[in-house]
Amino acid sequence: MDERRAAAAAMDRHDHPRPSSIPSGDGSVWADVSPLLEAACADLQEGELIHGDNFNLFAAMSALEIMDPKMDSGMVSRYYSVDEAIENGAAPVPISFDKTVDVQCTIDIMDHLLACEATWHKGHSLAQTVFSCIYLLRPERTSSHALLHSYCRIIRATCKAVVSVVSDARTHEEEDLFTMAYGLPLIGEDEKCLSMLNAVEETIARQLRACKAPLLGRKVIEDLEPLQNNPALEEGYCKAILCRLRFRKHFYHVLMCLKRPQGRGLQLARKHISSCLSELELIRKSTEVLQSNNNETHNCGEDKTTASGCRPVGFDASINTRLSAPTPPRSIKILSWSEAIDYFVKLLHDLDTICSFSLDASLEGILQFMTLLIQDGKLYGRDPIFAVIIKAAGLPEILRNHDIQNGECLVQLVQLVINLLKILSTNAAWQRRKLGKILQDWRVIHIQLELALRQEIGEESGLSADQNGRRDILRQILVWVEEQTFWIASRFLMLGFELELYSPSEYCMVYWYIYVVLVKLAERMHHKLSFTNATAKSKGKKKKGSTKDMSRDIQMPASVLFLQPYICLAEGLTMMLAALRNERMLSQSPSPFNSDHERFIQHFELLQKAGVPDHISYQSFEESTKNVRFSTLVMYNYFKDAQRMAKEVKNSFPNDPERQSELRRIEQVAEHNSVALTVLCRLGSLDSSLKVSFDFSHHPYFATAVVKRS
Amino acid sequence: MEAATIGAEEEEEEKKPEFDPSEIEYASYGGEHHLPLIMSLVDHELSEPYSIFTYRYFVYLWPQLSFLAFHKGKCVGTVVCKMGEHRSTYRGYIAMLVVIKPYRGKGIATELVSRSIRVMKESGCEEVTLEAEVTNKGALALYGRLGFIRAKRLFRYYLNGVDAFRLKLLFPQPELHPSLVMMAHDDTSQRHPTKRPLEEIPEQEESF
Repeated sequence: MDERRAAAAAMDRHDHPRPSSIPSGDGSVWADVSPLLEAACADLQEGELIHGDNFNLFAAMSALEIMDPKMDSGMVSRYYSVDEAIENGAAPVPISFDKTVDVQCTIDIMDHLLACEATWHKGHSLAQTVFSCIYLLRPERTSSHALLHSYCRIIRATCKAVVSVVSDARTHEEEDLFTMAYGLPLIGEDEKCLSMLNAVEETIARQLRACKAPLLGRKVIEDLEPLQNNPALEEGYCKAILCRLRFRKHFYHVLMCLKRPQGRGLQLARKHISSCLSELELIRKSTEVLQSNNNETHNCGEDKTTASGCRPVGFDASINTRLSAPTPPRSIKILSWSEAIDYFVKLLHDLDTICSFSLDASLEGILQFMTLLIQDGKLYGRDPIFAVIIKAAGLPEILRNHDIQNGECLVQLVQLVINLLKILSTNAAWQRRKLGKILQDWRVIHIQLELALRQEIGEESGLSADQNGRRDILRQILVWVEEQTFWIASRFLMLGFELELYSPSEYCMVYWYIYVVLVKLAERMHHKLSFTNATAKSKGKKKKGSTKDMSRDIQMPASVLFLQPYICLAEGLTMMLAALRNERMLSQSPSPFNSDHERFIQHFELLQKAGVPDHISYQSFEESTKNVRFSTLVMYNYFKDAQRMAKEVKNSFPNDPERQSELRRIEQVAEHNSVALTVLCRLGSLDSSLKVSFDFSHHPYFATAVVKRS
Repeated sequence: MEAATIGAEEEEEEKKPEFDPSEIEYASYGGEHHLPLIMSLVDHELSEPYSIFTYRYFVYLWPQLSFLAFHKGKCVGTVVCKMGEHRSTYRGYIAMLVVIKPYRGKGIATELVSRSIRVMKESGCEEVTLEAEVTNKGALALYGRLGFIRAKRLFRYYLNGVDAFRLKLLFPQPELHPSLVMMAHDDTSQRHPTKRPLEEIPEQEESF
C-alpha cells in the first residue's frame, strides 16, 4: 500500500551510513530490514496486505483508521492533554474570585458528578463519565479549595470502593459496569478522606448556624467567615452543600459496610442507606432554591445535569479519549439531574432489600431472591455450601458434617452450586447462556452420583448402619440434583421470553418443552419430599408437628401444588397453538431453507445434549401436537383448570405477597386464554376473519391470546 | 469467538421510487471497482464503523459470497459474508446487509441474502449466523421469514449501546458428510493460494 512504500522510502532517506548488521549475541544479529520492506512494498498490488499468521477477523476489525473521527476516538478531543485544558482555563481554582459564584459553581460540579456517577453505574466508561471532571484528574490542584478538594477526594475513594466491591463479586460483565480505570487517579484514601470531609462539613454547619442566629449571637462565633458574600443566599447554599456532603459520607460508609466479611456490616449499612435516602430528598428539595438563584435560565430543560440548570465548569467528556482502549468512540449521554437522583434512590432501596434479607441459608429462598454473597466458598462467608445442600435436599441437619462430603463428586457438586448462584446474579442475557452450558455439568454430576449409589448398593452384603446411611444420603442428593437440573432447564426456557428469543411461530414447541420439563420438575420435587417424610417416620422421631405432617401426606406439598397451574397453562398453550397451526389460522409460510425440525434442534440443543429430559425429541413433539384440532380441544379446557388451581394454591401461601401476586397473574392469563379458547372452539375454523395474536400483557413468560375479527 | 459487531438494516419505508423489481440486477463481487460502492453503502447506512481491512478481509477471501444490487447502473444494495470453521462446525456468517432506504420493502435484501445463503449451503455450510440490533424490526422479520431463530441476546453488543440478537439458520442435515466439509476447505484455500485465510483452517492444518 502507498503509505508503506512512503514509510520505507522515508526510512531509506537517512543520510548517515549504517552497518548492515549488529551482533546481538547468541549467534544472531540485528539487521536493517528497510531494503527488504521497500522491495516488498514495490511488489504489492492494490488490495494486498502483508500480515502475520494471526491476522483474522478480530485483527481486521481492531484496526483503526487514524484521523477518521468515526474510528479514532482521539480525534474528537478538544485538548491534547489535561495540562493543555488547564492552561486554557478549563478548570480554574478557585472557580471564581467572586465567592458567591464560586459556591454556585462548586454545587454544579457536585451535581454533574452525581449524574456522571449514575451514568457510569449504568455501564459507561469511568473515563468518559466521572473522570471527565478535570478537577478529579489533578488531585493536588484543588488542595487550596477545601470544599472542592474534599468532595473530589471522596468521589475518587468511592469510585475505587465500587470497583473493588464489584470486582470481588466476580459476577459482572464489561457491559454491566466498567471497572476499567486505565491510568486514572483512582485513589482510595479511606480514613483521611473522611476526616477531611467531616472537617469541611463541620465548618459549613457552623456557617449555617451563624447565618440563622440573630445578629447579637454572632459574636459568639469568632473568626468565622460566611460561606459567600450574599447574606440572602447564605442559608440556601449552606444547606445545599451540607446535604450533598452528607450524602457522600453516608454512601461511602454504605460501601465500606457491604465489604465487611460474613455480612456483619449489613445492619449498619441499612442505617447509612436510610441516611443517604433522606439526604437525597434534601438534595432534591434544594433544586428549587438553586434554580431561582440561577440567572442564566437559558440552559434549563429536561437534559440538565445540575440542580441549578447551569452547565458545570471543569468538565470535558473527551479529555480522556487518549487514555481509553483503542476502540471507536462509544456515544455517551449523561443522565439528567432528576434521572440521576431517581437512579440513586432505586439503587439504595435495592441495597436495603439485600441488606435486610435474612441469612437463613435456605437455597430455595436464595434462588428466589437472586442475590448472594459468597466468601471463602461459603454462603454469606458463613455456612458451608454442603450444609446448604443437605438442607435443600431435605436431609436432617445432623448430616452436615458427614464425611461423605469429602467424596469427589460431592466436592464438585458444591462447586456447581456456587457457580449456579453466581450465574443467577448476572444479567439475563448472560445468565441464560451460562445456564444452558452448566446443564451439562449437572448431568455429569448426576451420572457420577448414580454410579456411586450403585456401588454402595452393590456392596450390600454385610451392611452396616453407616453404609445404610450413606446410601440414603446419596439417593436423596441424587433426587435433589435431578430436581435442580429441571429447575435450571425451566429457567433457561422461560428467560427466552424475557429476552424475546422466541417468535410466535415457535411458541408451540417452547411451551411444549416447558410443559415436559415442569412435569419432570414436579415429579422430582414430590419424590424428594415424600422420601423426607418417609425417613422422618421410619426413624420414629415423632415431633410436635407430626400430626400436621401426616395430614399433609395425603395431599401434595405446597411447593408441588404451586407448579400445577403452570403445567396446566403450558399444556393448554401448546394445544391451542397446535390447533391454530393445524387449522392454518396462523399466517405462517414455510421457510425456504429449513423447517420446524431444525428450529427445534437449535432452540433445545443444550437441553437435548444434557438429556433434559431423556427420550425427548422433535418426533415426540410432533406426535403430541400433529392431530390437535379445536374439535378435540372442546372436550377439555386446560385453562379453566389452570385458573382453578392457581386460585386454590393461593391459600397455601397466605403470607407470601410475591407468590400471591404471581398466582394472580397466572390466574389472569388462564382466564383470558380460557375465553379465547372457547371462542375459537366455537367459531374457529368456520370464521376465516378471526385473527389470533399473542402478547405478554399479563405475565412475562405466559402468553395471552388475543382474538380479533379483521 | 466472533469479534464482529455488524448490523443489518432493512425497514419499511413510505416514499419509494417507482420501479419494477425485474429492473434490479444482481451481481457477484467482481473486484476492486465494486469495493468503493460497498463501502459507501455500509458506511452510510450502518451504525458500526469499519476499517478498510475489514472490508477487504471479507471481499477478498469470499468474493463468491458478496453480492451487489443495481438499479439502472446505481448500486442500491449489498451483502457481505464469510464462511469457515467454527468450533467443529462449518458455518456461514452474514456480516453486512444494506439496501438504501428508497428501495426497501421490495424484496431486494431477501434476494441478496438468499443468494449468499445458497452459495454457503452448496459450499457445505451446516449453518448460517449473524448479529442484528434488537431494535431493527425489519431485519429481524426478514431473517425470521428465511428460517433464522434468535439463538442468543448479546447485551449492549454495539458501540451505540444497543443489544443484539445472534440469529442462526440451521440447514437440514439427514447425516453429516465429512467429505463435503473437506471440499469446502479446499475450495477456500485454492482460490487464494498466496493469501491463505489462515484463521479459517486451523483444524485442517493440525490434522497434517
